[in-house]
Amino acid sequence: MIAKIICYALNGLDGIPVEVETDVNKGVPAYDMVGLPDAAVKESKERVRSALKNSGLLFPMNKITINFAPADLKKEGASFDLAIAISLLKASEQLIGADVDGIVFLGELALNGDVRPISGLLPILISAKGHGFTKFVIPAANAKEARFLGGAEIYPAENLLEIVKHLLGIEVIQPLETAEYTVSRGGKGSADLKYVKGQPIARRALEIAVAGGHNVLMVGPPGTGKTMLARCLPTIMPDLAFDEALEITKIHSVAGILGEEGIVTERPFRTPHHTATTVSMCGGGNRIVHPGEISLAHGGVLFLDELPEYKRSTLEALRQPLEDGKISVSRAGGTFTYPSRFMLCASMNPCPCGNYGSANLICTCTPAEIRRYKRKISGPLLDRIDLQVEVDNISYDDLTSSEDREDSATVRERVNVARRIQRNRFSKYELNTNAEMGEREIGEFCRLSPESERILRNAFERMKLSARARARIIKVSRTIADLDSSENILPKHVFEAVSYRLDDKL
Amino acid sequence: MKYTEDERALIWLHACTEFDPREKIALLRAAPSPSALFSHPERYLSALGKEEVAEGLSMRSERLERFLAELEESGYFAVTVESCDYPEALKIASPPLVMFGAGRRELLKERKFCIVGSRITPSWAAALGSRIAERLSRDFAVVTGLAEGGDCAAIRGALMSGKLICVLPNGLDTCYPAAHAALKEEVRRVGLLLSEYLPGETAKKYSFHARNRILAGLAEGTLVISAGERSGALITAYDAVDFGRDVFAFPYNPGTAQGVGCNELLKRGAYVCTGIQDILEVYHLKEETDVRQPLTEEETRAYEVLQAEGELHAAVIADRAGIPVYQMAAILASLELKGYVVKAGGNRYSCV
Repeated sequence: MIAKIICYALNGLDGIPVEVETDVNKGVPAYDMVGLPDAAVKESKERVRSALKNSGLLFPMNKITINFAPADLKKEGASFDLAIAISLLKASEQLIGADVDGIVFLGELALNGDVRPISGLLPILISAKGHGFTKFVIPAANAKEARFLGGAEIYPAENLLEIVKHLLGIEVIQPLETAEYTVSRGGKGSADLKYVKGQPIARRALEIAVAGGHNVLMVGPPGTGKTMLARCLPTIMPDLAFDEALEITKIHSVAGILGEEGIVTERPFRTPHHTATTVSMCGGGNRIVHPGEISLAHGGVLFLDELPEYKRSTLEALRQPLEDGKISVSRAGGTFTYPSRFMLCASMNPCPCGNYGSANLICTCTPAEIRRYKRKISGPLLDRIDLQVEVDNISYDDLTSSEDREDSATVRERVNVARRIQRNRFSKYELNTNAEMGEREIGEFCRLSPESERILRNAFERMKLSARARARIIKVSRTIADLDSSENILPKHVFEAVSYRLDDKL
Repeated sequence: MKYTEDERALIWLHACTEFDPREKIALLRAAPSPSALFSHPERYLSALGKEEVAEGLSMRSERLERFLAELEESGYFAVTVESCDYPEALKIASPPLVMFGAGRRELLKERKFCIVGSRITPSWAAALGSRIAERLSRDFAVVTGLAEGGDCAAIRGALMSGKLICVLPNGLDTCYPAAHAALKEEVRRVGLLLSEYLPGETAKKYSFHARNRILAGLAEGTLVISAGERSGALITAYDAVDFGRDVFAFPYNPGTAQGVGCNELLKRGAYVCTGIQDILEVYHLKEETDVRQPLTEEETRAYEVLQAEGELHAAVIADRAGIPVYQMAAILASLELKGYVVKAGGNRYSCV
């Protein structure tokens, strides 16, 4: 008898349906697998045999052929175990009367028959639902991430026997209840702007950066709170919408780093160490391509501490994803595309000794040393960073005003307002934020008054700015004007943007 | 470029590798004129006791022609002590016999003022130095080197008017520091590059010292905008003293490493320079009214706070002036553009 069971393989963030066909024939006992299974899939034979035996079920002593269709797709990993086991049971007539049509089985088996969790479940469920499947049997341990998929019957199972009983109608498993998505506020981390002492200028720069989706570089001596400031970035970013949360969850699910909640409710904050390789940053692997740090930071912040310490090639690899918001990694097994729309926040010391610009310490670096240090960051990468701000180590004790002790929620309110203005402005365009504007949009949305134009020209001449720096200043002025709820870019907005200017050579 | 017989002879002698500089001077003294030396060098070799090199000089005409052709091709010219536009002021104890130049030769006839500083120059000194260079370049050609810091500040100020002479410690076709190659081309385009070294020669330790005597020798006065204890800018200043020229220096806070040399110069009697008027007065030049744009009311408030304390953090200025920090950022940027303040690093600003 032939049995057909549906399960799913993962290709990047897309699930691809795979039919597991099992034929049990009379003859010399044998067990053949065809249809491009890899080593992990072939090993499933032993897991399935033990799982069946230890669940009190029968492993047929016949000639067994298992085929994976489509035959040209390489099948990888252990997530086919459950589907193989069910199709074996069906083919060996141990599931008579059970209706397995249209059910997608996903899960890895333990030798004792338990169903183990798999990574990448949510993207598979989302794809399968798109393909018209509405019934799923999944590992109970994956239940949390599956809860958020509405409009489907999802049965979480602890072990194989439970599933068999369920299919035979002996003991029915209760389908999962769809969970309501709630935004987490404040969240796990203790990061909040209210704990940041002083740094009014850097705070303001971060607010502008988040409001306009600009990348930001913080320059300052060691121990001035650059990392602390960066950690606050996710807390002032706009709330995570469900669609966005689902997309981030998909990536984290594929990477197998999904937390307890089962869905990502906070914007990610990734801090790869500066020894990170290009592959760990962009994604890679020889068989399955794993998402890299830039994809894990999708929707959130990628924080590169001590920017010049990163390998040049690794930094250069960021250029294209920064532009496109996605990364395509090509390997022998195929090309995989992962989204990577993140906000880049980088930090660096002002010079090798770190004391340049310090109020009380003396910098001992020669101009040539400083130049060498700064030259580690290429111009094209700097071109993609709109804001540069100095973080200093001054003591703020003598400041009387307390206005810069706002908490993140207050700042986020202002950011939300500025983002709303941008959404309205770009409603007819494929843009979300000011930072994404090209020359055409700058011409359309960033008209400068003659006065502002004059200021900019003056700055251009005095500071020897490049054409790119000019575009960056205009984009940042647009964001500052949005934060001010101002229709026009006023001189004061331009001036402020100039104060966060990027030195082309740094 | 046409050269007279004497000029050609001097260029030949300068490019000659057979003699060291002292021997070249001795030869010139021995011969009635440079051209006489060129036509019959063997007659004067006995003065040196180096008769054996006479044979090696037999191809001198061809060699000179080839050298001049190469010079022409690179767009360089030679100025010799015999040339009519050789600066009189440079006829000092050991003047360069020949200097090679690229750019506007006519700048040699201008009045000249030298501005130098060490490589590590605080930003206020660089900004003030630039402004002084900008103003002085109306009455003088500004003479300086090509290094980072002080030299660079002077160049930035004088580039606009183009009355700028950079004297290099290496051949005109090489660049030190290499990072200033673009700057060097810019100076060549709008101003004048000078060097006593042959094209192809790289900078040596001693050539900086030798170059400094030309800086000091060309100029009527020398302004030192920053100098550490053993800064090269001091060598220029002491050369200027030896040649009887005026020396000016910026005063520094006691204990500031970048200004120890400047303060030392002041102790020995250099003019204190705290602004353009200090130099203009000495040369009886009229000071123009401040050409900087007037300030708005808020800018004035911020500027006054800064003037009272010298150097301050932006947040502190905002606090003192009672203006929100982010608005202060805009005001300070405006003040910077108008040339009233300068960024000192670490979000601190100082007056200029």
